[in-house]
Amino acid sequence: MSHVAFRPRGEDLEDTFDFVVVGSGAGGAAAASLLVRGGAKVAMVEAGAWRDPTDYPQTAFGGMRDLMDNFGAQVTMGRALWPVVQARVVGGTTVVNSAICVRTPGDLFAQWETEHGLHDLERPLLAAEDRLEQALTIEEVPAHARGRSNELAVVGEAALGWPHRHVMRRYAKHCEGQGFCLQGCRAAKKQSLNLTFAPEVAAGGTVLSCAPVEKVLLEGRRAVGVTGTFRHPTSHARGARFTLRATKAVLVAASVTHTPVLLMKSGVRLPALGHFFRSHPGTGVFGVYDEPIDLNVGATQGWASTAFRDQPGFKLEVLSIPPELVASRLSGGGTQLMQRLEDFRHLAMWVVAVRADSVGRVTKSLFGNPVVHYSLNHADMLKLRAGLKLLAQQHFAAGARKVLPSIAGLPYELTADQVDLFDQAPLDPRAYVAILSHLFGGAVMGRDEATSVVDHRGRVHGYQGLVVADASVIPTNLGVNPQHTIMGLAQVFAEALL
Amino acid sequence: MLWLLRRAIVILYPRASLPGAADCALDDFLRTFKRETPLSVWAGTVAGAVVFHLFPLFTVFVPLPAFLLPRRLADLHAARISVSSLYLVRQSIFLVKMCAGLCWAADPQVRARLALPPLIEDPRTWRTS
Repeated sequence: MSHVAFRPRGEDLEDTFDFVVVGSGAGGAAAASLLVRGGAKVAMVEAGAWRDPTDYPQTAFGGMRDLMDNFGAQVTMGRALWPVVQARVVGGTTVVNSAICVRTPGDLFAQWETEHGLHDLERPLLAAEDRLEQALTIEEVPAHARGRSNELAVVGEAALGWPHRHVMRRYAKHCEGQGFCLQGCRAAKKQSLNLTFAPEVAAGGTVLSCAPVEKVLLEGRRAVGVTGTFRHPTSHARGARFTLRATKAVLVAASVTHTPVLLMKSGVRLPALGHFFRSHPGTGVFGVYDEPIDLNVGATQGWASTAFRDQPGFKLEVLSIPPELVASRLSGGGTQLMQRLEDFRHLAMWVVAVRADSVGRVTKSLFGNPVVHYSLNHADMLKLRAGLKLLAQQHFAAGARKVLPSIAGLPYELTADQVDLFDQAPLDPRAYVAILSHLFGGAVMGRDEATSVVDHRGRVHGYQGLVVADASVIPTNLGVNPQHTIMGLAQVFAEALL
Repeated sequence: MLWLLRRAIVILYPRASLPGAADCALDDFLRTFKRETPLSVWAGTVAGAVVFHLFPLFTVFVPLPAFLLPRRLADLHAARISVSSLYLVRQSIFLVKMCAGLCWAADPQVRARLALPPLIEDPRTWRTS
């Protein structure tokens, strides 16, 4: 097994591989594992450390410090400062998400074909998703692990008669419902890629961790390797330099924010690079119930509805955030806040993730870091507000005594007869405490070099041996959780390289 | 700066029927927070504390910094500033509240009151080979 973690200065590393994969999240690890299985000599390079379940922090502070990219402090530059959530660890965001598995919706293939000229993706992508479901255990959230918040969401959904009801499927094996999905599953039930594909890559190839790539090496218009400097995971001290040469290709899967910026820093010049950034912005409504809910008991996300994916265009789901974040998420301060926190055991948090049409851009700051320019347009704000109203109605249908909308300009709490007040909530994004969790674009697929960066196999237009294999290639908003699609696309791209 | 931030947090999370921030290991946490968060996060949080202490004139109409206010007025100031109509003020206070929440809700006494098991100490380890 070959894993190289942080190396101090003076112990520079140089080596040559068939393929070098930058990033070890859903895209990078899925692509690298397939290349290893195909017999190639592969190096997978990750900026963060490799942490096993026994290494996972339990506190939310530790999770932000040890697992998140830049402490989770990247925010959108737009009308509102909304956090852009991504991990920085071997396994990427699969370590800190809820491992939700949703197949790529069929309507997207027709849209990708007509709007972006992308042919021949449906069959190989769905085949790759079949294989992934075999390789990684997929299970419905077991009844004993759902917790009261998820159970009540099902009750509310049934009472309102929403269509397409189903229990959430996740990459998990015998989930115990410990409620720590977002800090990494210490019970090792979640099949995050640091536990599955990364060890496979290390067994058949090489994994470098604590190794942020600074540049893809180009000779003319051919990618021939990568270079960077090790960073210590706690002191952040700079360590040795590493240079990894690739005889066949470099696959960049460094995330939607880092991939475009890495390509820019490497000298790739394409008009669409960094453009067409999209996301699923999300925010939630707390329901307050008479019975104790204990939202951190049970799967963090065990229920979702895709009934509204097409119209109005959002997804609803349970999201049980850690108590440390609930403590700041409730509005107010002083004695008033402490009185509100007394309701903690009775809170259930359900969220809306908007299938937003708004488009943004990723650029490079003066210091070489990603900057995300993004604001929701009026139509998307209407969707967000409509989703929050539906969640409130769902809470009341499930028996909530009141809901907490967390919207500036609305009262702190609303009763069932006040639910129409959501229609009067401001449409200014600054009134909402939201985050961007699912990110797309920045190096999108397409046939036209003027409006896209890569082709239908992730190959960068006009360059040889340079492939993008993460969510930055996805040209539209999916409207569902993207991990399955990202892994599937990465494997389709990797397969084309063998 | 630590003192300023500490005072803001103690006013925002006072002892009530639940333990307050002052009942937690706040000083140790703030030293760790300063040392282990990116500079931008630390600077933003301190800026939030500065805003918190400078704004009583606009919330409770008293020309004193928050740390000099009597307890009742400080409490009223905390409630009002956290829902300020000015977005950047609200966001600044949110950063202070986030820092406070990371300490407060991880505290064993608080977790016991919220019917949550105590957390183990973060291991701070990773694969080295």
